[in-house]
Amino acid sequence: MSTLEVKDLHVSVVEEDETKGQEILKGVNLKMSTGEIHAIMGPNGTGKSTLSQAIMGNSAYKVTQGDVLLDGKSILDMPVDERARAGLFLAMQYPAEIAGVTNIEFMRAAINARRDENDQIPVMEFMKKLDEKQGILDMTDEMSERYLNEGFSGGEKKRNEILQLLMIEPKFAILDEIDSGLDIDALKVVSRGVNSMRGDNFGSLIITHYQRLLNYIIPDQVHVMMDGRIVKSGGPELAKKLEDEGYAGLRDDLGLDVKLTDEI
Amino acid sequence: MRSSIKDDFMDDTIAFSKNHEEPLWFQKMREEALNHATELQLPIFEKISYRGWRLDHPKAPFAEANTDNSFDLPETNNLLVQNGDQTLVNKLDPKLSEQGVIFTDIWTALKDYPELVQKYFLATALKPAENKLVALNLALMNGGAFLYVPKNVKVDQSIQSIYLQDNSQQKDYVHHVLVVADQGSEVTYLENFLSQGDQADNIANIVVEVVAAANSRVHFSALDQFGQHVSTYINRHGYVGDNARLDWAIGLMNDSQVVGDFGTDLRGEGGHSEAKVVAITTGEQVSGIDTKITNYGQHTIGHILQHGVILQSSSLTFNGVGHIVKGARGSDAQQESRVLMLSRTARGDANPILLIDENDVTAGHAASVGRVNEEQMYYLMSRGIDQETAQRLVIRGFLSSVITEIPEKEVRVRLTDMIERKLINGQQK
Ligand SMILES: Nc1ncnc2c1ncn2[C@@H]1O[C@H](COP(=O)(O)OP(=O)(O)O)[C@@H](O)[C@H]1O
Ligand SMILES: [Mg+2]
Repeated sequence: MSTLEVKDLHVSVVEEDETKGQEILKGVNLKMSTGEIHAIMGPNGTGKSTLSQAIMGNSAYKVTQGDVLLDGKSILDMPVDERARAGLFLAMQYPAEIAGVTNIEFMRAAINARRDENDQIPVMEFMKKLDEKQGILDMTDEMSERYLNEGFSGGEKKRNEILQLLMIEPKFAILDEIDSGLDIDALKVVSRGVNSMRGDNFGSLIITHYQRLLNYIIPDQVHVMMDGRIVKSGGPELAKKLEDEGYAGLRDDLGLDVKLTDEI
Repeated sequence: MRSSIKDDFMDDTIAFSKNHEEPLWFQKMREEALNHATELQLPIFEKISYRGWRLDHPKAPFAEANTDNSFDLPETNNLLVQNGDQTLVNKLDPKLSEQGVIFTDIWTALKDYPELVQKYFLATALKPAENKLVALNLALMNGGAFLYVPKNVKVDQSIQSIYLQDNSQQKDYVHHVLVVADQGSEVTYLENFLSQGDQADNIANIVVEVVAAANSRVHFSALDQFGQHVSTYINRHGYVGDNARLDWAIGLMNDSQVVGDFGTDLRGEGGHSEAKVVAITTGEQVSGIDTKITNYGQHTIGHILQHGVILQSSSLTFNGVGHIVKGARGSDAQQESRVLMLSRTARGDANPILLIDENDVTAGHAASVGRVNEEQMYYLMSRGIDQETAQRLVIRGFLSSVITEIPEKEVRVRLTDMIERKLINGQQK
């Protein structure tokens, strides 16, 4: 069993022409183990993506206090690629596009990066695995042969993020708004992909604005984030409650003084 | 008194010409070029200073070629491998020779097809008085090739050459290639310049002429791999007739300092040229590339695309020139030049130049000098790919718009491998 722990995490965004950034995360605490699915919900602009980027090691986000631990060891000094090879995966809200590099060669490079130089994945084995995972996601060879995310629709990009997840098989996957812009059929497909990963050796942190996704991927725990902090945690029923009462309702219940960006 | 090139080399030039049984008219052309070379100017490359390379001071153009050669034999029926004036391999599919296709070293061509050579050699695409280095190329030419595709012959297989530059000894490399696609013909040609040995500081002076006569289609690819201790001048120049098409894909994978002069004249009506250039520079290498297309004919199209990657302390300058002359109505000149710098000591420049002397035309340009896209790097690395591999992938993507243009898969693969190797070398600290 592996664990991922976020301890009193404070994160600022670093703008190019600033020395001191604006604090976005103001002390986040979270602990999860493989075998579990956690969901983070929260209004827009609250710091959900910031949390995921800080865990992955995006240099635009600066950790000013606290720690992120994988199996008890701090990963803050590790560069992004090392964190990935240590078992972290981030399905991004806005994946980059790279023309000239095909999905296939990219995924092979990603898998081979985790293997010894003298033990690179044989082409047949790779293609077989790719076939199987594409099948789960209703994807075709044609898509894998295209350039990485180039000209992909929003939904195709999300699917492609999940395909990478299934191919790479990390210990922990953070899925940042993997449901945004998906119609109900696509949502089911993507959920099927994530659910196929469920097991003792996989944990996932699912970030979403809406409860809908959690009907298909049932979480073990739900956390609500507001203004850079986790303000409430609970079981799947918390997501349902949010759906009914809205973020403003929960905020008022908790007596928080937070301005929600979606509020008119 | 300082001796002149003429005094230094006239006797050797005449002796070399006689020795190779060149026709008298060709020998006279050489003498004439040598006589006038001193009066001519070095070509001008905007923002590049290369005078110190002394490209106009050859030392030993007629030294014996070293016969110790190594190269990978490509899989093709139509191949010419040369080391200077020595031909190591020359084969052509009999089906093509039956149709009148000629693919030989330049001396065989001068002997067997003198009228054809005389009609085109520095007569159509370029002239001997173009500049000092072209004149010297003619006078001191010590290697060369001739490819001719007769009227309406469509060659559906690739024609390839490997030109080895002997850098194991003091020997100037002066090479001339003449490609002629006669009216209505089609051909795909690939040349690969490759240095052998790395012992001497030599000059390489390359002139390649391509004539695409009316209604012909020529696809020209080049992979240049000159070694570190060579100072290189490469002039590739195309003539495009009525409704003809000449496409260039040039991969500059040199370790040498190089000035490249790639020009195309759209002389006929409705002519079209796409010029694609990729370059990678490493070490202390200095490279300056001028790619120019001139629209003379009406309704002509000239598009230039140049992408370069600059590593370590090297420098790369791309000048793109689109020139539409008065009267070339309905023509189009577009260009895009982009360079990526990978280190703080790398220097890059991309200069778009549009010269438009006619109103009824379309023209445009884009240029950029930038660094590797951080967002792309982050994305790749977030999948566990290490920084250097990620960088190579991003660069390969950046260069792909040129690579994908090369029609033969085998050549694309070779260029991709070359890029990979050159990048790995350049990433070493
Ligand atoms: N790279 C960035 N540069 C500047 N500000 C940022 C950056 N990323 C996020 N922010 C700011 O941080 C806050 C939280 O954003 P984000 O983490 O994207 O929220 P969420 O994902 O919950 O919608 C917002 O006010 C946003 O504008
Ligand atoms: Mg977000």
